[in-house]
Parts: sequence; C-alpha cells; structure tokens
Amino acid sequence: MAESFGVNAILADQLRPEIIYRVHNVTNLTGSAFILRFDRNGLEFAPGQHITLGLPGDNQLREYSVYSPANVDYLEVLVKEVESGSVSRKLKNLQPGDIIKVDGPFGFFVPDKTKLFSAKHLFIATGTGIAPFHSIALSYKDFDFTILHGIRYANEQYGKADYPPERYISCVSREEGGNFHGRVTDYLLKNSAGSDTLVYLCGNYEMIHAVYDVLVTNGLSPDNIRTEVYF
Amino acid sequence: MKYHVVTLGCQMNKSDSERLSKVIEDMGFTWTDIEDEATLLGVVACSVRQKAIDKVYTKIYKWNKAKNNRNLITFVSGCVLPADREKFLKQFDLVFQMSELTQLPAMVSQYGVAGPFRLNSAVGLFQQTEATPNVGADFQTLKFDNKVTITGQPVMMKKPDKKIESFWDIKPLYNSDFEAFVPIQNGCDKFCTYCAVPYTRGREISRPSGEIIEEVKSLADKGFKSITLLGQNVNSYGRDKKGEEITFAQLLEKIGNYGDNCGKGFWLYFTSPHPQDMTDDVIEAISRHKCLAKQIHLPLQSGDDKMLIHMNRSHSLAGYRNIVNTIRRLLPEATLFTDIIVGFTGETDEQFENTCKAMEEFRFNMAYIARYSPRPGATSSRWADDIPHAVKKDRLHRLSSILQAHSLELNKKMVGCEYKVLVIQADRKKGYLSGLTEGKIIVRFASDRPGLTGKFVKVKITSAADFAIEGELTGVYSEVNECVAL
Repeated sequence: MAESFGVNAILADQLRPEIIYRVHNVTNLTGSAFILRFDRNGLEFAPGQHITLGLPGDNQLREYSVYSPANVDYLEVLVKEVESGSVSRKLKNLQPGDIIKVDGPFGFFVPDKTKLFSAKHLFIATGTGIAPFHSIALSYKDFDFTILHGIRYANEQYGKADYPPERYISCVSREEGGNFHGRVTDYLLKNSAGSDTLVYLCGNYEMIHAVYDVLVTNGLSPDNIRTEVYF
Repeated sequence: MKYHVVTLGCQMNKSDSERLSKVIEDMGFTWTDIEDEATLLGVVACSVRQKAIDKVYTKIYKWNKAKNNRNLITFVSGCVLPADREKFLKQFDLVFQMSELTQLPAMVSQYGVAGPFRLNSAVGLFQQTEATPNVGADFQTLKFDNKVTITGQPVMMKKPDKKIESFWDIKPLYNSDFEAFVPIQNGCDKFCTYCAVPYTRGREISRPSGEIIEEVKSLADKGFKSITLLGQNVNSYGRDKKGEEITFAQLLEKIGNYGDNCGKGFWLYFTSPHPQDMTDDVIEAISRHKCLAKQIHLPLQSGDDKMLIHMNRSHSLAGYRNIVNTIRRLLPEATLFTDIIVGFTGETDEQFENTCKAMEEFRFNMAYIARYSPRPGATSSRWADDIPHAVKKDRLHRLSSILQAHSLELNKKMVGCEYKVLVIQADRKKGYLSGLTEGKIIVRFASDRPGLTGKFVKVKITSAADFAIEGELTGVYSEVNECVAL
C-alpha cells in the first residue's frame, strides 16, 4: 500500500525481533518518485503484499507495497514523495547505510496461485500503484498478464523496461508519449477485458470505483475483480 | 488500598480488564465501585470512536483535580493511538500497553505506593544514572515508554518484556461466574480503512491453542455456561504462525470434542470473524458439535461492493452471500448477527440502497448499526466525512426499521416452541428473569427464583416482541445438563 497519512504503529517494535535493515540506495525516477532499496534480511513475502517502513526514533510507520520480486536478496519499495507527508520525504533523503524500521509483510492482494498459470491477468494501476504488479510480474515466469498503467506524464512509466513490451500498456492522460493517450477507463471502454480475465486494481479509490464500473458494465463478474486501495 | 478501573469499548477490552484486575488485586488492592475511595484509578481506553477517547480526557481531568486533596495514582491502557498516547503521557501517571501488564506491579511499586521507593531496585527495569542516584518521594511521573522522567531528569530503562504471551499467562478475575471471554488472538492485519485497531493493537498474534483449550476446559469444569473466544479476526487464528499452529476450524473441533464429552453443558461462541476467512470448515465444525453455539456474528459493514472496496474489506457481497448460504444450509437453526456502518465516506443513496437490499436478503436476527465517524489514525480519517449527519441519521433509522421488522418476524416463529435458555439476570420487569437462547435472543419469563441466574432453564415461548421474546419456565437443567421438568 502507499503512504497512509496520519497512521502510526506503536506495537511494531515489540512484536518483531529487532532486525537491522540498512538502506542500499535511493534511485530517483522522477522529481518525486523514487525506489528505495534496502536489506531483505530473509523477510519472506508473497508478491503483491505490503510492508511498513519507518525511521528509528520515530513511531510513524507507512505502508508500501513491495516493488522488488521475491527472488532477490534485497527489498525495494516505490515511493511517491508527498508534500505534506512526514515519512516519504525522510525516506527520500536516506543515505546508503542508514537504518530503517521494517515490519510485515501484510495484506492479501496476491495472485490466486491455483489460477496463476491458467487464467489471463489484467493488472490495472495508477501511478505508484504499479508496485505490487512489478513484484508479481517479475516473481513468476510464464503466466499471462497485461499491465495497464494510468499516469499523467510519460516519464512516470515506472519500471517499463522490466516488462516484455507487449505486456505493458501505459495510458498517459496529460501529454502524448505513452501507448495510449487518455485514462485507463478510456482505454477499457475501447478495449474490453475478456469475461474470463482476472482483474487486479491498485490505486486510489476514485480510480478503482471508475474502473470497477466500466468492467462490470462490460460484463465482467465482480468475482473476477481484486482490489487494493492505495491510501 | 482500593482501586477502580473504567473499561471502555469492546469485549476485548472487557476481557483485558479481567486480567488487569487480577494483577492489581495480587498487588493487594481491592475493588471499589466508588472512584473517590480509590487510590489507584485507571482507564482501559477504546479508540474506535472519538466519544470514547473524550471520556478518557473527562476522567483524567477529574482525577487530576482530585489529586489536590488526596494521593492517588492514575493509569491508562487499552487501545490508544499514538497521538492520544502522547497527550496521555502528560496527564496520567502510568501509560502502558496491555502486553506490558505483567510489569504493572513494578511500575506502581516504583511510584511509591506499594512499597518503599528505590528506583534502582525495580526488578531489573531501571538503570540508575549519575543524575538520579537516589530519587525518592519527589518522583513525579513514570512513563512506561522508554524512559522515566524524574524531576525533569530522563532515566532510560531496559525495554521490558512486552510480549503479549506474558499477558495471556495471567489468570483473569472473571466478572461473572457463568459467562467468560477467552482471548485467542491479539491485533489485526486487515487494515479496514475506517478502523484504527491495527495501529492500536498491532499485528495479529495467535495465542497458543493449548492454552486456549486449557482455559476453556477450566471454565467448563467450573460450571461456566457461556464461553466466548475473542479476537479481532478470530477465524484468521493461527495464520501468523505459518503452519505451526492449528487453524480456527481445528481449534473449534478440539473444543467441540471436549465439550461434547465432558458432561458439562456450555455454549461456545466466538467474535468477531471476518468474512474473508470464513471457510466452510469453520461452519462444518460448528455443525458437528452440540456445544458450539449456533449463533454467528458475521460483520457485513456494507451491502455495496464499491463501499466494501472503499472500506478495504477484502470481500464482496457475493462472497458474503456464499457464506450465509453455507450457514443456512449447514446450520439452519443458527441466528445471524452483523455489523453495519452507514454514511461512510462517499456512500451514495444507491450504495445505501444496496445495503438495505442486503438487509432484506439476509434477514439478520440482530445488527449493530453505526453511523460512520472518522477516527484519527484510521486511513479514512484522511477522507472527507461528506455524508451529512441528518442523512446518516435517516439511514440508521431506515436500517433499524428493516432490522426491527425481521427480528419481530423471526421471533414470532419461536412462539409455541421450547428453548434452552441461559438465565442472565433479574429482568427490569418485576418478578421476571431474563436470559439468552443459544442464538442469543433475549428471553424474559416470570420467576421468583433469582437463584436460577447462571443456570440453564427451559422456557416455552408465549409471545414475541421486536428484539425479545417472552415465555413460561418449564424446566431447569442440572449441572450434568439434564433437564428436569417443573
């Protein structure tokens, strides 16, 4: 999940053994979006799940979906710096070797393994909501997926190079430059998802509600839709 | 020395309070109903609604004023958000989490009430510093945080053993001798957007099943008749142990096997389950065992799929319907209770209508309907609370009317039948007792035998009202669960 403002977690320290997580690096993708890479320390997670991050001495934690795949020995999260956010700005300024607090994993926004290799998957995200899909897409091989990524500007195609070109469709709303000009809802109105497709939605709830309406109107069963509201 | 504790909120808090009372009484305090008599005053706080937190502030304001006239120690524990906790640290003498409860005697002792005050002797909790070699009666404030402040000098203390497991080890002082609540889990991993519990109680941790079963056995042996397994998401029990603990269905199965063969009559309930984790095997286990009560509390929250997404409930209406269908099929006699929130952020008239339709479809015996109010700390507190108060009120009234009609209809079907009833208390109506059926339907009946409280009786239902039924006492059950006709 993305940053959840005003949310703290006071019990995290007491419930998990104290493990030191050190920052590897911060990679800026745009002026405000960046990837934070840090120690994994053997933390097991299912691609699609989220973790909480915070800084030592600060009881504020924020939820972020894991961006990195399950088969590497580090963890990454994709963060959008929020002007009023008290954690994301601090995370952006972290230096290699700095210590962060990590808890988790949490959540249930994971692929149904019984259908992973038999069903078509459509992953729809806006902005940094693509993070769980990046982790899923890079963790599993040879499954049928398409990522539909709604962004405002073409430079927000986070991780585009990590996907086979035919599996990534960017919908750029405020300028030319992506695979489609317009919102993800505009794309779906012109390109209907098959009725047997499993659709995963990740982003703010306005987008999720709008896409949900389009999908159901087009005949997709609500049972085929999974959602993760980004805070 | 006397103590008084104000417990706010849910059954979890009430259950926590029973363990709190045990620890306090073991320190030599005795309970008083009168706050003014107490030297130790505490609150077990609830963060679900602002109103509950406001009550804490009201209490501490009063207690701090009382300190002008007498010596007393105040504490707060329970579900407290970090923002409130920071404020409480300035107002209460002791602020601790329930997982720190075993350390309470040391805290109170350090405060100078229960024994001579020696900062550096406190069961390894404190480290003496040069700044505080001999601090005595001028000790002002103890914060069970990561430091204590003594006349302005912070003293670091070792991190206490804050494991929730040590809390569960405490034998509670049950508030009743026939009804008991058994915590099986603490915390929540669901992150519903309207709820702050994951931030006040932390992550889900399951209590060892062996302990739970022993506590249930012990309660049954002592004659407890109504035992409720408690947790924020009881049916996700064991999942945090990643295969090293039994599942909730298996836990029910074990308790069911014991209950069916122990010769003691009791009803075992659980609350609250989450629809996401309500697997068929849980319902099947209930169907197999007589002692597993045929009453299911299954929170719906909204009958609209988009609202459920907005609430991050991780289930759809169709999924909920499947569970209800399974309950109706395997447990046809079961009563169904639920929780619903009206006026959540952005709830349109159409979405509310979907909740009304769901109420009509599922025909709940009881629903706890709440008007949405944002709670600082919960995710939804960032969103506009954009449904006018009057609209929320209307929606609450509308759902209540639907519920009332269904409850009456279901209760009328009980007229003429005999039910086993657990007598709870003297009824408000003079000369009557009231109790609960296995399905938790309130029953009142004429009786001049207050000694029946806490016993199972048989009642023939003679009339039905909206949320209660009335009947005639026809039999009393013995301790070995045999019914003797009157």
